[in-house]
Amino acid sequence: MHRIKEIYKWLEARLQLEGPLKDAALHPVPRNTASWWYVFGSAAFTLLFLQIVTGILLALVYVPSAGEAWSSLNVLNHQLELGWFLRAMHGWGSNFMVAVVLVHMAQVFMFGSYKYPRELTWVLGVFLLLMTLGMAFTGQVLRFDQDAYWGLGIGASITSRIPIVGGSLVHLLLGGPIIAGATLSRFFALHVFVVPGSMLLFASLHVWMVLKLGINEWPMPGRIVRRSTYLQEYHDLTHKEGAPFVPVAFWKDVIFSGAVIAAVAVCAFVFGPYGPSGQPDPNIVQTVPKPDFFFLWIYAALAYLPPSMETPFILIAPVIGIAILLGLPFYASEGEKSWYRRPVAVIVLCTVAISWGVLTHLATFTPWSPHMNAWSGDPVPPRYLHDATPLVRQGAVVFQSKQCRNCHAVGGVGGQRGPTLDSIATRMTEDQMIRQVLQGGGNMPAYGKNLPPPEVTALVTFLETLHPPNEPPAVDGSQKEVQTSQIVASSGSKK
Amino acid sequence: MSYDVVMKNEQQEGEKLTVSRRWLLLYAGVAFNGLVGLALATPVIRYLLSPVKRDAAYKSWITLGPVADFPLGETRLATFINPFRKPWDGETAGVTCYVRRIAAAQFQVFAVNCAHLGCPVRWFPQSQLFMCPCHGGAYYADGARASGPPERGLFTYDYKISDGQLQIHAGQMPTLSNTAKLVTIGNVKGKSQCTG
Amino acid sequence: MMPPPILVSAACVFILLLSGCNDAPGYPKTSAEVLRPQDQLSFDILYRQNCSACHGADGQNGAAIDLGNPEYQALVDDRSLRKWISGGMPGTQMPAFAISMGGTLTDSQIDAIVLGMRNTWSQRAVLGGRNAPPYAQDQKGDALRGKEQYNTDCASCHRASKQQVTSPDYLALVSDQALRSIIIAGRPDIGHPDWRGDKPGSPLSAQDVTDIVAYLGSSRSATPGQPYRRDR
Repeated sequence: MHRIKEIYKWLEARLQLEGPLKDAALHPVPRNTASWWYVFGSAAFTLLFLQIVTGILLALVYVPSAGEAWSSLNVLNHQLELGWFLRAMHGWGSNFMVAVVLVHMAQVFMFGSYKYPRELTWVLGVFLLLMTLGMAFTGQVLRFDQDAYWGLGIGASITSRIPIVGGSLVHLLLGGPIIAGATLSRFFALHVFVVPGSMLLFASLHVWMVLKLGINEWPMPGRIVRRSTYLQEYHDLTHKEGAPFVPVAFWKDVIFSGAVIAAVAVCAFVFGPYGPSGQPDPNIVQTVPKPDFFFLWIYAALAYLPPSMETPFILIAPVIGIAILLGLPFYASEGEKSWYRRPVAVIVLCTVAISWGVLTHLATFTPWSPHMNAWSGDPVPPRYLHDATPLVRQGAVVFQSKQCRNCHAVGGVGGQRGPTLDSIATRMTEDQMIRQVLQGGGNMPAYGKNLPPPEVTALVTFLETLHPPNEPPAVDGSQKEVQTSQIVASSGSKK
Repeated sequence: MSYDVVMKNEQQEGEKLTVSRRWLLLYAGVAFNGLVGLALATPVIRYLLSPVKRDAAYKSWITLGPVADFPLGETRLATFINPFRKPWDGETAGVTCYVRRIAAAQFQVFAVNCAHLGCPVRWFPQSQLFMCPCHGGAYYADGARASGPPERGLFTYDYKISDGQLQIHAGQMPTLSNTAKLVTIGNVKGKSQCTG
Repeated sequence: MMPPPILVSAACVFILLLSGCNDAPGYPKTSAEVLRPQDQLSFDILYRQNCSACHGADGQNGAAIDLGNPEYQALVDDRSLRKWISGGMPGTQMPAFAISMGGTLTDSQIDAIVLGMRNTWSQRAVLGGRNAPPYAQDQKGDALRGKEQYNTDCASCHRASKQQVTSPDYLALVSDQALRSIIIAGRPDIGHPDWRGDKPGSPLSAQDVTDIVAYLGSSRSATPGQPYRRDR
């Protein structure tokens, strides 16, 4: 014990870290900030270090070459002892990091922490959020599989929409004319050097400012932030009724960070690593690319925008969004912090959260995408066919072989781009169906040139049988008349 | 004023003199570094911007194969190797396109990339449609937009036939910003003169 | 109750052991390594992805012919199967699946499908040496005789408008070969008898089948698919 003390003294005489560390640890904080609501920032910081450590461990094996990356990931997954677990830790760590950063931001927003004098802390935080998302995207690219390849294609296509410089930016993004080796190399540099380096710097400044300016006090309705008085008020709050950061508040940070890391490990252990999915071979067109979870909402938004709105939205919305985030602390640097007195803030946060949730949910089952294999892989439910006439059966074959199923579900299986057809006969008459098939419309292609009359007849005859047993199919008023006149005519001609 | 204070003032004045000379040297040092930095900036920026080229510089004539490989009236998948291939590109050096042979010497060569966001469209000969797995864009056999979010038809490559070989002018990923051309058939907003 | 130090060290040992465990639920299975689509040679997967939509899961109760019918498997030869899968069946909706014909399957994948169907659904001697009519038509058909034969052997069921097969709309979508296959092998999944019919002891001869197909063929129309037909 004595020996250890000696060594400590020797080191301290040279490093002289004790003073600043003690200051940082023991600085007084408002007593009510020792709350579980204040643990997300430190958890994000911890996750950053988890990502750095697991990332370095993966970089020991990963080959950042377009030709080899995919195989090296499979070696990690299958041939190295617990390589799969480290990949899973890094992947789930990324998920948790994005989630914790977003929760941290929402909490800070709700608590009005961005107000005077912590504007710059917020601004750095916005950049840290963007860099976290950037890490998530570049990380998805390094998992160089089909999703990564086509995700880059989507990135390039979005970039290409920027007026004038779009084409040059695509070249810069891809490092050449197409997605290839140069692309992966530059995303590797971004993911491993550029962005993490900046993140460390920004995160350190962010924490530095939290220590220097003090943690935001628990907002009280009516306690209004004014530039002239705030610093004095905060000083009084911390020094008269405050408590030292360590251990009064810090123990919660420590426990929460540990819990988050444990949660990452459990997820990694139970759910395993992400992918890699199929080979990054552009000659494989039988692929259904999908972005990672945190970009699904963009994927959904892009599917639902009307074509004319798309380019302006893609290019302008992010700029406006970031500008709003950056401008927020300057626009509202004084005033109420409590959410009881900030209804607009509450509504905005709820709206954003709900929209994000809905778009993400939609994107998980992509109702706008055709199911590319439904036509050849999803059987027509036998109950629709068992007592069917031969023509109806042929209609069902036409329905499958002409890829109708790719967009129209039957029996709960198939694409969801178009309406489900299980009770189509009650909604459309035979004539309406024929018109719809031949001419398309309402976002359906026209099949007029590709379906000869007997195929249309068979198809529509099959569709006519799709109605619940207790609900008769819809019939055109005119059809009855045509049939009656036909009978009259034929009986007339027989005489 | 006491003696001490006078002494201090003199000292300060003396320091001021020396300090200003040292500051001058520091300024000179900073300026020198700035110059060196400027001299370095140009190579660095040029190095960073080196992938940015005119579209024509990235394109060349590539042979897809003998014309006879493409049956009349059908649309077939064709692959080629990107002319700017690097040894470490691996599989990503490959590029896919669709070749539609309309008449003996009349072709349409479509890029595989959807005009919406670049996902790979798949050709379905039964319904004569290209469908995109990402956001559900669909195109007719002639490449015209059929439905979904794309604003235009499929991208096409220029082609020529020499020595019985079908050649296309390709080399870069087609996007809205580069030379990939519009399919100029009818009104791309849905009314296609589909010949499929 | 264990004393705390033992409890803590037991927990530590447990966690250490757990974290070194390769048998975790998240461990990616080697079989899950992704195959290129063209390297997929498992019959189950190929059939599920490419065939089941029309021919039914397990080769029955589909819209198109039931490949799982052992009699059909006994009737059809490998060459014909391979031909229909690769190039599609003319006169029907069966599309071409071979890459060389514009599809997505390699020749070895098509072989795997043919072999898989044989292994899964073939039953030896299901035709029982009862000299079934051959798969391919080998004689010329007589439509007039076929009509009589149809009326005696088929019409008992197919007379009802519900099972109408003489409609030109239907006939425009099936080939002679497809009709012949169903007449000979039947469709047990939907209750269609094979060539032996539902009357025991009086099976159709090869000539009968050919004639019936010829009769049905003669009912084809040059302009099928007119709307408002009453015979559907």
